[in-house]
Amino acid sequence: MNKAIAPMFAHNAWLWAAMLILALLVQACAPAAAPAAPAGEAPAAAGEPVKNVLGKEMPADAAPLDQQVYVYPSRNEITFTTIDFYEQVYQRGDALTDLLSDSLTRLDKNFEIQTGAATEWSVDDTGLIWTFKLDPNLMWNDGTPVTANDWVATFQYGADPTHAWDFTWYFNGVIKNWEKAVAGEVPVTDIGVTAVDDHTIQFETQTPAPYLPAMLIYSTTLSKKALETTGPLYNSNVETSVSSGPFKLAEWTKNQRVVYEINPDYKGTNVPYIQKVIVPGYGDGTVLAAYENNEIDFMPAGRISPADMQIIQTDPDLQTQYHPQNGDFRTWYFFFDSQQPPFNDLRVRQVFAHAYDREAIAANVVKQAGIPAYSYLMPGFPDSNSAGFKATYPYDIEKAKQLLADAGFPNGEGFPKQTLKLRTAAAIPLAVAQAYASTLNKELGIDVEVSNMEFKTFMEELNAKPTGIQFGQISYGMDFLDPSNMLGVFLSNGRHNWNNAAFDTLVKEASSMTGDPAARTKMFQDAEKLLVEDVAGIWMHHETPGDLYKPYLKGAALEADKNGMAAMHWPGYSGFSTNLQDIYISNDVSNFRSTPPQ
Amino acid sequence: MLRYILGRLIGIVLVLLVVSIIIFLLMHAIPGGPFDEDKMPLPEAAKANILRKYGLDKPLYEQYARYMWAVLHGDFGIPFQSPTETVVGLIGRTWPNSLVLGMVTLLIALPLGILAGALAATHQNTWIDYTATFVSTIGLTIPNFIIAIWLVLFVSVRWKLLPTGGWGHWYDFIMPVIALGLSPLALTSRYTRSSLLEVMRSDFIRTARAKGLSGHQVLWGHVMKNALIPLITIMAPQIPNLITGTIFIESIYRIPGLGQFFVTSIFRRDYPMIMATLLLVALLWSLIYLATDLLYTVVDPRVRLDKKAT
Repeated sequence: MNKAIAPMFAHNAWLWAAMLILALLVQACAPAAAPAAPAGEAPAAAGEPVKNVLGKEMPADAAPLDQQVYVYPSRNEITFTTIDFYEQVYQRGDALTDLLSDSLTRLDKNFEIQTGAATEWSVDDTGLIWTFKLDPNLMWNDGTPVTANDWVATFQYGADPTHAWDFTWYFNGVIKNWEKAVAGEVPVTDIGVTAVDDHTIQFETQTPAPYLPAMLIYSTTLSKKALETTGPLYNSNVETSVSSGPFKLAEWTKNQRVVYEINPDYKGTNVPYIQKVIVPGYGDGTVLAAYENNEIDFMPAGRISPADMQIIQTDPDLQTQYHPQNGDFRTWYFFFDSQQPPFNDLRVRQVFAHAYDREAIAANVVKQAGIPAYSYLMPGFPDSNSAGFKATYPYDIEKAKQLLADAGFPNGEGFPKQTLKLRTAAAIPLAVAQAYASTLNKELGIDVEVSNMEFKTFMEELNAKPTGIQFGQISYGMDFLDPSNMLGVFLSNGRHNWNNAAFDTLVKEASSMTGDPAARTKMFQDAEKLLVEDVAGIWMHHETPGDLYKPYLKGAALEADKNGMAAMHWPGYSGFSTNLQDIYISNDVSNFRSTPPQ
Repeated sequence: MLRYILGRLIGIVLVLLVVSIIIFLLMHAIPGGPFDEDKMPLPEAAKANILRKYGLDKPLYEQYARYMWAVLHGDFGIPFQSPTETVVGLIGRTWPNSLVLGMVTLLIALPLGILAGALAATHQNTWIDYTATFVSTIGLTIPNFIIAIWLVLFVSVRWKLLPTGGWGHWYDFIMPVIALGLSPLALTSRYTRSSLLEVMRSDFIRTARAKGLSGHQVLWGHVMKNALIPLITIMAPQIPNLITGTIFIESIYRIPGLGQFFVTSIFRRDYPMIMATLLLVALLWSLIYLATDLLYTVVDPRVRLDKKAT
C-alpha cells in the first residue's frame, strides 16, 4: 500500500468504520428473507353468509368486505387519455379499463363466448343480418335505461371521421358501409348497426361473418346521453362519469391512479365479488419491489423483466405465485419483403427457415416466456395444427447451405447485407434476434446486422408502400378467437408484403363459411399450410406469459381451465370477460396486509 | 444595468423564436405521427381522419404560423395524450410537483455541499476530507436511478420504513431528495473544496491572517466570497435540470411531475407537449444564465457587464 495510505488505515478508526459499513451493505445484497408473517386474524364468526353491496353471497373463506380491494399496477410513464375502448383503444394505457359498461358478449376462462349485455343472438338465412336481444334490466347510474340506441351511438362514434378512432380497421369488411363511413363517403347513420327497438340491435354484415359474436366482446357501450351532453371524454372526470357496468369511477388523479368502486346500481350479470379496484401507476423496476412490499396484488407478465424473472425463479414463494397462461395466443416471427430480391426467391426464404434453431433458442433464451413455434397458430387456438408442421422446416444447416448455393449464393457470397429490424424489442425478442443473426453470420456467411428501432419509426417503415423493411421481427396476438383474425394479418396488401392469391381465397372463403365447421377448419388449415410452406414468416415462439399474483386472490376464474391451466386468463380483470364474477380476496390476506389499501 | 437586462431579455425572446423553429422542424422530421398502428396498418381514410383532427394535414409553414399565433395569445394547444385539459393546464398541474422536489433538493444539497467542501478544504488530508471525497465519488459516479432503486429495496422492502413511493405526504420527499441530491451535493462539495483550497493559498489571505483575523472571519468573510464565482458557474446549470424533473426518479417514486413528459411526448409524437416542454427548458436556461451573470456583479465588484465603463 502507498506510504501515505497505510498509516491512514492504521490510525483512523473512521476509515475502518466506513469499510465495515460497506461490507455490511455488500452482505445485505443477499436475497431478502421472506417477511415474518404477522399473526392472522381469526376468521369471521360462522353465521349468516356475507353479501356484498350487489347482494352477491361471498364465499365462506372470503375476507371481510372492506378487504375486497384489488390493486393492479399500470405504467406511470404513460398518460392514458381515456378508459373507454370506443374513444381510443391504444390510448387506454395499460390501466384496467372498460369496467363502466357491459359488452354484448363476454369471454370465459375457456375462451368460450358467453352472453353479456346481450341475452341471445341469431342470424338470418342470408347470414348477413344478426339480431341481438338486450338485457332489459340494464341501467345507467344516472337513471337512464340502457338501450340499443346506446350501442348505435357508440358504433357511429367509432366510424365518425371527425373522431378518428384508432381501431376502425377492426370492422373493415365486416359491418356494412363501415369503410365508406370512415372515409366520409356516406353518413355514419348508414352503417349496418341499427336499433330495431329499445332492446334489440341489428347488425348487417358485408359477407357472412360467423365470428361476429366473438368480435363483439369489444362492444362496451358508451352512454348516448352522456355523449350528447358532455362529450366522448365524459369518463375522464368523476363528476361527468356514468356507468352501467359493475364498477363506477371513484377517482382519477391524472398521472397517479384510477380508483373504481362497485356500482350499487348495476343491474347486469357480470356481478363481481371485489368492491374496489385501485390502479396506481408504477415505474419499471419498482413493480416487483411493490409486489414484495404488499402494495399491489398482481404483477402482469409484461412488467416482469428478465432480472425479476431470475429473482422469481430462485424464490420458492414467488414460484408458487407465478402463473403462466396463453395470454392472447401471441406468436413471434421473422418476416420478409417477399416481393423484392433476394427474398422473392422461395429457396432463399427456405434457407432462413432451416437456419433457425427454435428448440435450442427456446430452451436457452426464451425459457419460461414461450414455447417453440412450428406454425403461426398457437396450440390451443381454434384450428391450430402445430404438430402437423413440426417437420416442415427443421433446423438443418447442411440443407440451408445447399439451398443457398442453389439460389446462387454459395457460402453466402454475394448475398446482400441484411438489417434485421426489430420493433422496440424487449430483452427476450432482442436476444433471440441476436442469436439468429449470429447463426446466419457464422454458419451461412450471410452478413446480418440487428437494428432495434423505435416503435413508430418501425411502423412507418413497415406500412410504407413499398415497404421499407426487408427483414424484420414482429409479433401478433389475437383480437378475437377465430382463425380469420390471426390469418387475416397475412392477407395481400395488409401488414406483410407476402401476397399469395391462393391464401387470400382460402381465408376469405373460410371466414364467411357457415354451416360446415369441419370444412371451415380444413380450409383454414390448408391456408396455414400455404403460409408455413411458402415461408411467409419464420415462426419463433408462442408467448406463454406468466403473471405473479398473491395467494389470497382466489376464485373459479383462477382455477384450472379445460386444459389444466390455472391463471388469470386473457383479457384479465376486464369487462370483456366473466373473470370479474369469480375472483375474490380470501381471508389469507391478513397474512400480507393488515389494513385494506386506500 | 437596466439597459443591459433589457437587452438580454430581448435576446432571450429571439433565442426562443429560433429554438421554436428548430424544434418544430425536427419533430416533424421524425417518422410516424400521433396515431397508433400497433396491430394492423390504418386504412388510408382513417389515417387521413386522424391527421385532419390534429391539424397535421396542412403544410408545415401554415401549422407553424397557426401555432405561433396561438402562442402569442397564450394558447399552447391541447396535448394529444390528455385532451380534457390544455397544455398550459397539464404543465400547471405537473410542473409544481417537479419544481417543489427540485427546490427542496437544491436547498438541502447545495448548502450541505458547500459545508462539506469547506470542511474538506479546511481539514485537508484528514479523515473528514476523505469521507467527503468518498461520498462525492459515489454521488458523481453512480447514476441517480440506481441509488433510487437501492433506496426502495432497502428502505421500503427490506426495512419497511417507508412505502415504495407516492406523493402527498411529507415523508414522500425523503427518498427522492436523497437520490436526486447526491449528485449536486457531490459536485458542489468537490468544487467548493478545490476552489477554497486555491483561494486559501493566495497572498491576500496570508495578509488577512497576518493582520490577526480569526480562521472563521477569514473563511467566511474573504475566502468564501472569492471562491463563489467558479461555484456559481458550476452550480447554476444544475438548477434547470433539477426543477424540470427527471423521468427516472419521478417514475420510480411515482411522483406526478413534468419529467416523464419530456421523453414520452416524443415517443407519442405529442407535438404540442414537445414544443411546450422544450420551450420551457430553453426559457429556464436563458433565465438562469442571465441570473448568474447578474450574480457575478454582486459577488465580485470588479465584474462589469456593460460594454462602456460607468
